[in-house]
Amino acid sequence: MLSEERIILMTRMASYEQGEGRKNVKIGNYFRSDYITVQVLKAVVCAIVAFLIMCGLYVLCNYEELMQKLYNIDELLAFARDILTYFCVMVGGYGVLTYIICTWKYVSAKKSLKCYYHNLKKLGSMYNER
Amino acid sequence: MTVLLEMKERLKLIYSKSDVFIVPVVKFLLAFVTFNTLNSRLGYMALLDDMGIVLIAALACSFLPLGMIVLLGAVFSLMHMYALSLEVALVGLCMYLIMYLLFFRFSPKDSLVVVVTPLLCALKIPYVVPIAVGLLCVPSSAVSVGCGISVYYLLELVAESAPNIRTMGDEDALAKIRMLVENFLANKAMLVIIAAFAITVLSVYLIRRMSVNYAWTIAMIAGAMVNIVVLLVGDLYYEINLAVGSVLLGSLLAIVVAKVIEFFRFCVDYSRTEKVQFEDDEYYYYVKAVPKMAVPMQTRTVKRINSQRTREAEGAGEESLYAAGSGRQGSRTVTTERSVPAGSSLQRGRTVTTERTSLGGNIRQSGGQSGNARQGARSATTERSVSGRNSARNAGRTQGRSVTIGRAVDMQEDFDEDEWP
Repeated sequence: MLSEERIILMTRMASYEQGEGRKNVKIGNYFRSDYITVQVLKAVVCAIVAFLIMCGLYVLCNYEELMQKLYNIDELLAFARDILTYFCVMVGGYGVLTYIICTWKYVSAKKSLKCYYHNLKKLGSMYNER
Repeated sequence: MTVLLEMKERLKLIYSKSDVFIVPVVKFLLAFVTFNTLNSRLGYMALLDDMGIVLIAALACSFLPLGMIVLLGAVFSLMHMYALSLEVALVGLCMYLIMYLLFFRFSPKDSLVVVVTPLLCALKIPYVVPIAVGLLCVPSSAVSVGCGISVYYLLELVAESAPNIRTMGDEDALAKIRMLVENFLANKAMLVIIAAFAITVLSVYLIRRMSVNYAWTIAMIAGAMVNIVVLLVGDLYYEINLAVGSVLLGSLLAIVVAKVIEFFRFCVDYSRTEKVQFEDDEYYYYVKAVPKMAVPMQTRTVKRINSQRTREAEGAGEESLYAAGSGRQGSRTVTTERSVPAGSSLQRGRTVTTERTSLGGNIRQSGGQSGNARQGARSATTERSVSGRNSARNAGRTQGRSVTIGRAVDMQEDFDEDEWP
């Protein structure tokens, strides 16, 4: 005989698996530190590439000024220091932001998966009751 | 309101039945409008500014994921920029890459927002975007809105600078790049609008999540006001020459659109709010339950009246049948079908069939319901013999009987008790 409660539970779980659950299961396969490290590394690589693109645009926009600075070692050093500072701020800031977002994502995904596994157990017990 | 709710149920039913066709058609239309707008705004590459190409690209997008519209839109715009000048295309590519690497990767599912935002900006109704996004999406979607606005202003800048760029020669390559980058970064209007929209998205999201009555309505009105205030402050501070009238009208339009979104997404009846309190071993629970507004669609009645002569009728003799008062026909079948495809949350897709066969004095009635998992499938058959006079009376009652919607269990009781006392 059909069990309404079981069907409702299965429908909800199937809906979860099709949508949000798929992403959360992927996240749940990692340990917390592994997931966050991978994401922060990806973010750092992206930030470095983006920074290089910005630098390239800056160089193209201020080509003549930069050529003049090349002949003055003090100005060149000051410019390099500025670039390094911007680099650290941008890449570091982006990494920290990614760390916060990924930690939050991981926690919410784990919470959601916990509920999903609890429902799986409940479903299993429903079948055993028969 | 009932009519609107019925219409909503009907639309939901149509969508659920044929979403396989509706979604690709909507995607096709969105892609078509996007590529056409790009061609009309830029249109420097004659090869791309062709209806056939646009149709093919839009058709491809209709079957591919939504992100393809973003990708093909970027490719279209870059090719137009390339046709204008290689340097412009380089700047465009750099901007897109920076947006993708730094911002868009946090909310990759917001492709629709990234496409719709520049489109609505081009149509001069951008104020709908932050309120709708705040109501429907998450706070990180503010980043996608910002990306969309940046793309719009980049394309506008390219279109405005095109005459100057054309006059410049190849030797002014660096000057072209400098002009574009400096104008883009110095665009205060863009920065003010990005800030205003981001603040609006966040405020709408925070208010609509609050546990107060009419949270969505409060959120949309507050969001529109916050948007107006931030834009006006930005206008005063940076002198961006904002058209105040268009901001006010646009915000009003945004509230109207937001009300439509609310109707389809968050239609609840606050007058029937229930507050319950209970506890378990670990917690006290204070629960506020607001019921959704839902009415079933109007019942559809199909009557089939078949006139036929059966063996029994012929055997029993026509004269006696006519005398019994069952009408002129020896055998008469009245079939009434009522279909209620969508009802309340407990009652979906129910069909009630009442069938009567009057043959002399015999009447057969059968009722069947097919509903959701909660209701299961039920059927009941009642056979009674009544006199000809009662038969005619009951037949009339059956045809005109009204079905009470929203009471799944009472339905059967009405069926058995009221109709056949």
